Amino acid sequence: MISDRIKSNLRQEFRSSLLPKVGLVILIAIVFMALFAPVLATHNPNTTGHFDDGNAYPPIGVSYDSYEVVDGERETYPVEFSSDHYLGTNNVGQDVFSRLLYGARTSLLVGVLGTGLAVLMGVPFGLVSGYYGGRIDDAMMRVADVMLAFPSLVLALALIGVFGSMSIPVPDPIVAAGFAEGMPSATTLPGTVTLVVGLVTWVWFARVARGEAMAIRNEEYVKAARSLGASNATILLKHVLPNSLTPVIVLATIQVAAIILLESSLSYLGFSGTTLSWGYEIQQGQDYLRTAWWVSTVPGIGIVLSVVSINLLGDWLRDSLDPNIEGEGGGA
Amino acid sequence: MAFGKFLLKRSLQGVLVVWGVVTVLFGLRAVTPGDPVNLIVDPAVDHETRERIRQELGLDQPIYVQYFEYLQDLLVGDLGYSYQSSRPVTTMVIERVPATLELAIAATIVAIVIAIPLGVISGTRRNEPADYGATSFSLVGISTPNFWLGIMLILLLAVQLDVFPTGRRPVAFHDALWMFLTTFYVGDLLTWLHHIILPAVTLGTYFTALITRLTRSGMLDEYGKPYVTATEAKGIPETLVRYKHVLRNTMIPIITVLGLQLGTLIGGAVVTETVFSWPGLGLRLIAAIHNLDWPLIQGIIIFVGISYVIINIGVDAIYAKLNPRVLDE
Repeated sequence: MISDRIKSNLRQEFRSSLLPKVGLVILIAIVFMALFAPVLATHNPNTTGHFDDGNAYPPIGVSYDSYEVVDGERETYPVEFSSDHYLGTNNVGQDVFSRLLYGARTSLLVGVLGTGLAVLMGVPFGLVSGYYGGRIDDAMMRVADVMLAFPSLVLALALIGVFGSMSIPVPDPIVAAGFAEGMPSATTLPGTVTLVVGLVTWVWFARVARGEAMAIRNEEYVKAARSLGASNATILLKHVLPNSLTPVIVLATIQVAAIILLESSLSYLGFSGTTLSWGYEIQQGQDYLRTAWWVSTVPGIGIVLSVVSINLLGDWLRDSLDPNIEGEGGGA
Repeated sequence: MAFGKFLLKRSLQGVLVVWGVVTVLFGLRAVTPGDPVNLIVDPAVDHETRERIRQELGLDQPIYVQYFEYLQDLLVGDLGYSYQSSRPVTTMVIERVPATLELAIAATIVAIVIAIPLGVISGTRRNEPADYGATSFSLVGISTPNFWLGIMLILLLAVQLDVFPTGRRPVAFHDALWMFLTTFYVGDLLTWLHHIILPAVTLGTYFTALITRLTRSGMLDEYGKPYVTATEAKGIPETLVRYKHVLRNTMIPIITVLGLQLGTLIGGAVVTETVFSWPGLGLRLIAAIHNLDWPLIQGIIIFVGISYVIINIGVDAIYAKLNPRVLDE
């Protein structure tokens, strides 16, 4: 469990370095944005802008000096970010700032839930494999080897092919309580993507948990518990599991960042399940780079800041707790 | 354990892994809802035609028969036919390999050429401005989605400054090279180079950042070891110590991590190819998944799995040569 020594290590590393503080501040800001998106957003992120003839508004933003829309009529003069849309609008007239806020929700939700799923699958698998050892371990590790031979993005794509696109609307309590009128009443959780990112990353947790279980298996107190007649299940739950938590927590932190990157890649490739996703928004903007650079640029900054902040905290945890772990990066 | 025996053992394990990959993919295809016949012909076609196609594809056979037939065909390199285009999958995979291979190798070169010197500088000048610069670069590098980096490079260097093309691969490297060797015409090679720079940087940045990090921490670890102090005390010049001894020992863990990260490189190639319309395996895989063209999906992923296994056996072999102690484990 978390001992006093670990706590004091964490505190000391946090005090002595600027980086974890920066990470923490950025992450808190992003979580705040995601939680209170309906209140902070200036527009409904899904509302598109149309001319009276049904054509979508062109993107509005800084340095783009073609159109503004007055009473549904096109008028040509410069429009700045500062007007009604802080960060301009996208190719169908949706507010980029509001979509940035809502995109944070999707990224964080998928990141946290996907990691949770991976922990729930990988940790028991690894603990059993490492604790029992021998043939059970051999067989289970061959399964893990097969998982590792699939690049996670590629396996995720294949699984999406199997499951199809499934989205789960999650009612938004802030809107339901009446604090944010005109905002979407539900946040769409991309169900398939969440499931799939968990299914392709659990093996890293299995490897870490296995290593810990193998190390703890031969400790004196475990032998003592066994000789006192404790069952394997009891030993696994009461002794092995708590002692393997530290590296699992460190890996989980890093994996949230990796999964955010994976989710954004899947959305970019068109397999998202929700349009309120940073990756999807970047893909939409790619065709408008010549006229509206901000559509692709803004959500990318959101991704980089989230991932950097989580990685900074992950580095802090790793430096303080120093477990030897490896995980797959999310460069994809 | 002798090196040959070690290699044999790893190869047998590799065959087992490939068999697992094939089986998993076959299972995924089997549980995918929907009738593949609909992907080949108009869903409204009459019952007889449907049954005929079903027979041709072997879909009327029990699932285990289909499985063993698939394995049998695979052993002779036959991956079946694409639902979408009716072309042999093996051909469709092989014709796309050069483009992806070019991209992956170019990205690896970019990564190694930038990262090793950067990591060495960072590791030897700890807590100096150069170190902070390299550390910040590698932090942002591993945290940036490569498709967004690619789009930003296009925005800046292709759209605004117009120094690079926005994408596509007008000429294959082997054709350009052949042209050069037979007629001494370098134009094609230069065109190829001009088109691959942005995709290679896009795909390579994550690895550049990762290798910089690994080199830095590896150098710091090695510097703490007694042999470094000893060699320095013997009066061997510092540069020699740094590059010959410290860096060489640092390379061992880097090679292992790179082998494990090969999946990230392949996943990254899928995305990078999409950004730059680079006609490789990744672009074909995305199209296949959009169409639920399972024979093609299976073919591409099996090919990727086999490459992964072979390269990792290679990495393990290098590792065993550099560090023979693993043979005893």
